[in-house]
Amino acid sequence: MAMPTSRESFQGGVFHASIPGGRSGATLSIARGELIADTIGEPSMRFSIPLNQCQIDLGGASGRMVFCRTKDGSLTIFCEERNFAKELDFQSGGALAAPLKQLKKGLAADANRFRFWLAISALACALLLFVGYFGVLWTAKTAIRALPVSVDEKIGSMAFSGMEMGRKLDANHPASRLVQEIVDKLKPHAAIPDLKFKVTVVEDADINAFALPGGQIVVFTGLIKEAKSAEQIAGVLAHEMSHATLRHGIERVSQSLGIVAAIQIMVGDVGGLVALGAQVAQTSILTSYSRASETEADLEGARMLNAAKIDPKAMADFFEMLKEKMGDLPDAMAWISTHPQHETRVQNIQNHEKKLPVIQYEPLLLDLKAAQDAL
Amino acid sequence: MQVDIRNRPSFANLRVQFQPGDRIIAEAGAMATMSSNIEMKTRFNGGFFGGIARRFLGNESIFVNEFSASSPGELVLTQPFPGDMICTELKGNTLFLQPGAFIACEPGVRMSLGLAGLRSWIAGEGLFRLKLSGNGRLWFGAYGAIFDREITGEHIVDSGHLVAYEPTISINVAMAGGIFTSFFSGEGLVTRVRGQGKIYMQSRSFDGLAAWTNSHLM
Repeated sequence: MAMPTSRESFQGGVFHASIPGGRSGATLSIARGELIADTIGEPSMRFSIPLNQCQIDLGGASGRMVFCRTKDGSLTIFCEERNFAKELDFQSGGALAAPLKQLKKGLAADANRFRFWLAISALACALLLFVGYFGVLWTAKTAIRALPVSVDEKIGSMAFSGMEMGRKLDANHPASRLVQEIVDKLKPHAAIPDLKFKVTVVEDADINAFALPGGQIVVFTGLIKEAKSAEQIAGVLAHEMSHATLRHGIERVSQSLGIVAAIQIMVGDVGGLVALGAQVAQTSILTSYSRASETEADLEGARMLNAAKIDPKAMADFFEMLKEKMGDLPDAMAWISTHPQHETRVQNIQNHEKKLPVIQYEPLLLDLKAAQDAL
Repeated sequence: MQVDIRNRPSFANLRVQFQPGDRIIAEAGAMATMSSNIEMKTRFNGGFFGGIARRFLGNESIFVNEFSASSPGELVLTQPFPGDMICTELKGNTLFLQPGAFIACEPGVRMSLGLAGLRSWIAGEGLFRLKLSGNGRLWFGAYGAIFDREITGEHIVDSGHLVAYEPTISINVAMAGGIFTSFFSGEGLVTRVRGQGKIYMQSRSFDGLAAWTNSHLM
């Protein structure tokens, strides 16, 4: 039977012990049912493997190299050219197609496995980074909340001294005394009993009051002038004191933490936290709380008022009074403008009040008129 | 042209003795000393873009130097790190070199830069490799001693120790053992080579040196 002859030659190589160095590049051809390799260089040597004895394999650095080995493995002829496998199969009368296909399948499965593990590893790395980042932030936030209240006090006093405000009224001023007396009355009912509340009245026409971490409270003269009763001032003060006892300021600090600061705190740098807190305070973040914090302070304030036998309605009344008086000009009332959605708040306070213990409220025996006249 | 490797294995260098008409191509900067009659021509290592690609991707020089002589002379070539050098002859076959290993070759050897693939990169063997093919002698160097091994089947090399391999060898990344062993044995990922052919390895690795130096810096 006449065997077809290879129409082309291929560049490949051969491994055999008789070649100096054991290997050589070779020109390959297929003729008369044999794979023939003529080595490059002088003297050229010829090697051949009958196709029906060829042990086929696929691999090499590219994964596309076709190897043809004798049964004992002493002679290997290999080639990477694209058409070599096809020609080999054709010349062998299709006998090599099945093993080649099988080998290709194996390589493809191997490549898929590699891609799968690569994707899994990339995903694991991303997840580790993600968990690490938020883990550090969360741990730092938890650590901050576990800090003693003395840290709040440090941040508060640093922020207070760094703030630009109007003239501070003397502690003996009737307005200062009035505000101090209300604070004294509310203080025993604060959630943190040993917090040192310090209240300062500042000359400013804005209807405003704010609390700094640690119990520093500032009341503007504008607010005292507009109040209809001492109970309304008590309502505002209870709300602000609640911000301090609920530690909303330090919560803000922890929320604005960057990853670097978080790591600093985790390694125990509280001094860094205080500096950061004061810095945050000066950008006035410290006194603008989230809606949730405001609601919390409303309810806690109502509880304090109730415990101090002051009617919590006064707090709601104050919001309503301001709203009616100022209409839709929120700019005119700084305190309200930083405290959004007051209809809901009034409603919330009123609902909450119903859940509080029923007691006989006592009017505050304080001379608001005298304090207002002194301003 | 007679070429000897001297001062082996620690501070190996090539002494090239030229006869009229001899030529050798060497890595830029490899020349340590030469006779005044030897002519040196600098050219891009495989064209302008090829040279740039080799510099930034293969960590080889942009340029290669071609030395030639019309009368007898001597040239000494070195490598930047301490270690051995080896000579191998290509007879129409191909050899892949890891970046930085190439020192010199005869004019019949062709150089090109090829992508080694993601597996090689993850195994710490570099994303690219230098492909040398054609006919002629070739010299390359390593950090530490060089040893070779004829592979039939599978063999494991720690990452950073593979210097050169034949195209009949496939490279795979593998863990040194189980997850625990891989992390704590200090071996991490290893290179699993498979196939028939020769691999060349170096007895020291630059990663090992870097890690050792790092541990003494603090």
